[in-house]
Amino acid sequence: MTTDAKTKEPPALRYLDPGQVRVFRSPDGRVRATVAEERSVIAPRFLRVHPLTDPDRYLSIREAEPGGQEVGLLRHWQRLDRESRELVQAELDRRYLHPVVKRIVSAKHFWGLTLCVFETDRGLREATLRDTRDNVIYLGEARILLTDAEGNRYDFPDTGALDPASRALLAQIL
Amino acid sequence: MAVAHELPDAIRRAVGDAEVRVAAASDLGSDGRFGERWIVLAGERVLVCAPDGGDARVAVDLPLKDISEVQVENLVGGAMLQALVNGHKVDLLSYTNALAKRFGRVRGQLDAAAKGKPLPDEPERLTRCPTCGLVLGEETQVCPRCVRKGAVLRRLLGYARPYRARLVLIGLLMLGAAVFGLVPPYLTKILVDGVLVPRRNAYLLPWLVLGFAGSSVLSTALAIWRSRVGAWVGGRVSFDIRAALYERLQWLSLRFFDRHPTGTLISRLTQDSGGVQDFLAYGLPWVASNAISVLGVAVMVFIINWKLALLVLVPAPLVSLSARMLWRRMHRAFHRFWYRWGRFHTVVNDAFSRIKIVRAFAQQPTEIERFQLRNSDLFRASVYADQTWATLMPIVGLVVSSGSLLVWYLGGLIIVGHGPLSVGGLMAFLAYLGMLYGPLNGLTQSAQWMSRALTAAERIFEVLDAEGESEKTPGKMALERLHGEVEYRNVTFGYEKHQPVLKEISFQVEPGQMLGLVGKSGVGKTTVINLLCRFYDVDEGEILVDGVNLRDLDLSTYRGRLGAVLQEPFLFTGTTAENIAYGKPDASPEEIMAAAKIANAHDFIVQKPDGYDEQVGERGGRLSVGEKQRLCIARAILHDPAILILDEATASVDLETEDQIQEAIARLIEGRTTFAIAHRLSTLRNAHKLLVFEDGKIVEMGTHEELDAQKGAYHRLLEIHRKTSMVAAVDH
Repeated sequence: MTTDAKTKEPPALRYLDPGQVRVFRSPDGRVRATVAEERSVIAPRFLRVHPLTDPDRYLSIREAEPGGQEVGLLRHWQRLDRESRELVQAELDRRYLHPVVKRIVSAKHFWGLTLCVFETDRGLREATLRDTRDNVIYLGEARILLTDAEGNRYDFPDTGALDPASRALLAQIL
Repeated sequence: MAVAHELPDAIRRAVGDAEVRVAAASDLGSDGRFGERWIVLAGERVLVCAPDGGDARVAVDLPLKDISEVQVENLVGGAMLQALVNGHKVDLLSYTNALAKRFGRVRGQLDAAAKGKPLPDEPERLTRCPTCGLVLGEETQVCPRCVRKGAVLRRLLGYARPYRARLVLIGLLMLGAAVFGLVPPYLTKILVDGVLVPRRNAYLLPWLVLGFAGSSVLSTALAIWRSRVGAWVGGRVSFDIRAALYERLQWLSLRFFDRHPTGTLISRLTQDSGGVQDFLAYGLPWVASNAISVLGVAVMVFIINWKLALLVLVPAPLVSLSARMLWRRMHRAFHRFWYRWGRFHTVVNDAFSRIKIVRAFAQQPTEIERFQLRNSDLFRASVYADQTWATLMPIVGLVVSSGSLLVWYLGGLIIVGHGPLSVGGLMAFLAYLGMLYGPLNGLTQSAQWMSRALTAAERIFEVLDAEGESEKTPGKMALERLHGEVEYRNVTFGYEKHQPVLKEISFQVEPGQMLGLVGKSGVGKTTVINLLCRFYDVDEGEILVDGVNLRDLDLSTYRGRLGAVLQEPFLFTGTTAENIAYGKPDASPEEIMAAAKIANAHDFIVQKPDGYDEQVGERGGRLSVGEKQRLCIARAILHDPAILILDEATASVDLETEDQIQEAIARLIEGRTTFAIAHRLSTLRNAHKLLVFEDGKIVEMGTHEELDAQKGAYHRLLEIHRKTSMVAAVDH
């Protein structure tokens, strides 16, 4: 399971056993992660490997700074102990601003712009869409991601499950 | 003071009496939901507060003196402003991508304050219209709502304005054709009432038949003439639009191309301008001539019997109402259809431009599947559009034709009751009615033309109105001579909003010097070049060329003095000679050959069957990578740039070829300011200055010897290279 940088073996991913990993808040208030009593990382970053398609599996634990090394991968981070899990969840909530649209309240069209009001899991949000058709990503049959003119992204996990009014507005938008 | 927006009273009260030096609102609450929070630099304190009813909740309150630095942590979908306090990062507040620019500026201000420097007081760049709050264009800062007041149609017709005389002619021809079209039914009335019913006046018969024939021939002739002129105007306007569109695309910012797949752009140029042409050549004249016919017919039926006419026209509002409904649905259906076309194009384009890779990975089945997916998308969209049309149209037709039943019945009653209507009158009335509903149907059909064309036009205008790159704000200054002195001052830039790829980099190059850019992939080397070419504008800081800000330089003159030899040698379709002369189309054959000779290209070119006339580029001409590179070097030599860009020019060739290329490059860079990127450090050994990049920052700067002696990042890279025999020569 472990890799040793000094050997000439091809590099391998290091999968961590949830039992080996502990995430906690150190006395100075910073988040810390220890791995199998051998490593301790201050302010680690928890990155989703598949943030869109499978957000809850495969979590990469990395050193603090961007560009920092990967400490290891967790296949199922939900199997961490409770304190660790809560801290990881909080870190993920902090990092991934990923509004999920529950309802389209309105959509008005002007000249290549569409002014929308979305009801998301993070509250109501007004979004201005420009070149909509070029800023939509289709993920599978029913899921779409829309990016607005200001670079914010909105997730429609299942367009088929929207209420009829939202579906009609979405059809107009696209 | 640099207040970004009006500070709410509650926040101001929470802040106290201290002078507010910086204040800015974010769009996320502490729980990650959309909401409002403020960061305020008041006196010597940094506060983060959230409005809470009439009050404010203070979440962070830090003395400025405790903060050593203010940073931005890029998150997914937004970012977090952080303060470094005693070496610990403290989260201040988060915001979405929409506010990245604002908080990039706030970060600079707070950071300056923390370091005891004066606050940079750049005005906040507006991202939304101050009048209506709509998102502004990224480069021009123009509000689409406040500027574009005209309708698409009016704008489209604007393109026809230069051809006014022909339009007037078309109008007259339509009028003529309509008037002659009204004659036959009236002749029918005379025929029935004056000849057939009384069974006399046979002498009128030949004249009436001649009248029928004459009016039909004349009206047909005028219609043909009108269509021919209409076709010309439509074609011409579409020609003008295509030209404008293509020109615009050539000048659009690269950011635009990053965002839009090529396929959709091509379909705008071909499909959409075709749609507009159809509309202008056939649709619009059809609508106009039908409208004239309807008017003429209405006048005639009122003359024959105004009471009956009134009754018959009752269904008319119904017709126009259903037409409107139809319009809306068709608009949507066709919009979707055009969009699917664009996506369809993208897939096809993708697959064919990468056909070798597809084959190499044996992915034909996947590609076919991908294609089929889009193909069936397109199929569904076109079926939906056409079926909607096919269903709704006949229903409207049915509603419309109910009018003639009414005429038979009511008209019959009037005649039987000896009312003011003759049998001929009734016949003429019915004939006119046929003529009325035909064009009315036509007018409703025009919904289809219109929606098809207007959506196409809208998509075209989207491109025409898209924010142009740097070029749109043309520089004022055309440097007569470029010496090639370049300076980057605190340059920060990111392709995506505020995911900086370059972070506050500064360096200077003297004219004629060679600068080597070193570092792993993705650290920002190519970005330095992209900014130098002004493919993108810097987000912060400035780039000076001969002491002048790049933004103030006339772009085409400036780019005319740049030359590049890129990693992927790109040749255009054409001859070898044309390719070498790309940057100097008027070069003489001897100049071209001289350049090729210097580039070590002449000998292989001459040995090709067609010599300098060999076809290269996408079709024909199988040149090796090394040969292509030498052609590109020859192109750069002929272009004679003051500033030269070399990007990994010798990445993928054998040693002998590399030698030849190196030799050619050495001749090329003589006396020119050169920016060179190479993974092989050997190629940069002679650079006057090496910049070593790590994570968007310059970590080392100096000559090869200096940096090697420093035993830092460059030395480490050298060590890695020394381990591979290929670059063992670096050391001597």
